[in-house]
Amino acid sequence: MNQTVIKTRVVGVEISLDVTLYAIVDIRGEIIAEAELITSDYPDINNYVTALCEGILTLVEEHGGYETIRSVGISAPSGNYLTACMENSPNMPWKGVIPLAAMMRDRLGLAVSLSNNAHVVALAEHAFGSAHGMNDFIVVTLGHGVGSCFFSNGKVHLGIDGSGGEIGHTCILPEGRECGCGNRGCLEAYCSAKGILRTAHELLEESDSPSLMRTVEKLTPKVIADLCEEGDELAKETYRRTGYMLGWGLANYASILNPEAIIFTGGLVHAGKWLMEPTDRSFEEHVFHNIQQHVKLVPSLLDDRERNVLGASVLAWAVDEYSLFK
Amino acid sequence: MDENKLKRTIGVDIGLEWTNYALVDIRGTILARDRFRTFDYPDLEPFVSNLCERLITFMEANGGYEHVRSVGISAPSANFKTGMIEYAPNLPWKGEVPLAAMVRDQLGLACAIGNDVYVMALCEKVYGSARGLKDFIVVSIRKKGIGSCFYSHGVPHTGAEGFAGEFGHICVVDGGRRCGCGKEGCLEIYASEDGCLETARELLASHSDSSVLRDCEELTLQVLTSAAEQGDAVALEAFRRTGEILGRALANYATIVDPESIILTESMSHVGDVLMKPLREAFERHVFHNIRNKVKIETSVLSDMERDVLGASALAWDVKEYSLFT
Repeated sequence: MNQTVIKTRVVGVEISLDVTLYAIVDIRGEIIAEAELITSDYPDINNYVTALCEGILTLVEEHGGYETIRSVGISAPSGNYLTACMENSPNMPWKGVIPLAAMMRDRLGLAVSLSNNAHVVALAEHAFGSAHGMNDFIVVTLGHGVGSCFFSNGKVHLGIDGSGGEIGHTCILPEGRECGCGNRGCLEAYCSAKGILRTAHELLEESDSPSLMRTVEKLTPKVIADLCEEGDELAKETYRRTGYMLGWGLANYASILNPEAIIFTGGLVHAGKWLMEPTDRSFEEHVFHNIQQHVKLVPSLLDDRERNVLGASVLAWAVDEYSLFK
Repeated sequence: MDENKLKRTIGVDIGLEWTNYALVDIRGTILARDRFRTFDYPDLEPFVSNLCERLITFMEANGGYEHVRSVGISAPSANFKTGMIEYAPNLPWKGEVPLAAMVRDQLGLACAIGNDVYVMALCEKVYGSARGLKDFIVVSIRKKGIGSCFYSHGVPHTGAEGFAGEFGHICVVDGGRRCGCGKEGCLEIYASEDGCLETARELLASHSDSSVLRDCEELTLQVLTSAAEQGDAVALEAFRRTGEILGRALANYATIVDPESIILTESMSHVGDVLMKPLREAFERHVFHNIRNKVKIETSVLSDMERDVLGASALAWDVKEYSLFT
């Protein structure tokens, strides 16, 4: 008789433009061990997969052994859960449709599940974070882009092709700013890191009023937030305008979804009240009256570094176990 | 009792003018139907007594009470989760009305109640254009309002409190026309039947172009449609503007939900190409590129006269059977 062993560990992988972080996570969400590799060192996808698989195998052999690992979950830019491929990522060096999960599975001999960052973040928030216990909620990621993922009736909603939740590419102003996607007036063109900088530059050009933003060497969202703390009016106005657009876009989202909460993650969240207060004001101004004051707008409580690998570990549990040897 | 005969339900549609009801068999055949004026009963108790008395007579006249399994009711502002009509702005009965419980107690039959738009979407799923679909959006565009409901994984998305789908109140023009809900620039104030007519009136007032619309006694959707079909420039422009706003709003909805299909129902859905052409054109221009040319936009195959009672009868199957006598 075969002895059945219930494996209690998975590997979570987060692929971002610069760094790939991978970690062994146990059933309770404890990170047992983690390591990273530099994504940009591998312009060729085959070399990247080889390096990542070797890295994962080394890590698991050092911490409990290969046989303790159930499966692998990956968060990847433009990852599609339904096809388990990276599809035409505009920013990554690897072009076209890449069957990353299948490539990894064949080399690791473990089941691999893959999805995009927003989905993975929502899974992390639902399993270990602010959305624990909620059935209907939205997670918004604010960084290089503006992404989102929502749960409907306790389940993630991916849409028919797995590309739902693209709130960053809803059109706010029909003849507005050009967006990287080719459309005009997308929310992302105003509320991503680039969008904030563009707003700041517009403001600086609009007026002659003095601002510390004129003197800093390199303007970043963080620098602007720091200048808000110092009382710089134009810096505050930059976040006020960003928050106005964000609140408006999310109010439309919430009027359609009636979520319990909207949870914010990503680098821009660290601007804190300078972004959140105007967002909140604009949200309540634009949202349908039945749900005014009903939707909680909250920043995520999870650690930025941990959130993605934790979410990827949740994703790993969603796939059936697989073994080369059975 | 012969179990095989328990194969019918009653569907009731409470509208602002008429309350329609029908006896429907398990295949969706309407066996009999009748109606009365909703506003003849401004007080709740007489309304419920009248409804139940009529239903009993109706059931007895059409095969007998004992062959009816349950009752489904479609009403504005109704909540399936609580079984109540909640603060309907246009119905005469104020506050929270526990209609499902009242009807059940008087009829001795299980009673389900649902928001008119959820019932409509259910009907499309069970008997109409959404049959076999898992992720789809139904949008109803009426004289004064726009409602919607979408399905996720084959189940309706009702939201945390049952208020989801308020598509008519997403803000499409910041600081635009004032809407009955108190906000500015809501979709329905532009793209409902009345909104479209208002656009035509604005065009007539701001331009001096000749138009057959200047000579008509009363501007209605029929008049506007036939003028547009005959090539009247003002009428065509009114539909073009309406189609542009509606197409853009639907594109945002689709970008979030990634549906297989969008099904349009009621008055504006029958206008035809003069509206649908600019609408589709705007939709494809604004929708997220990954799903461009993938989402079908179609007019419902069901008749507006049948949809609500038929949907309500389908809703009736969603409650457990109940009897006073067992």
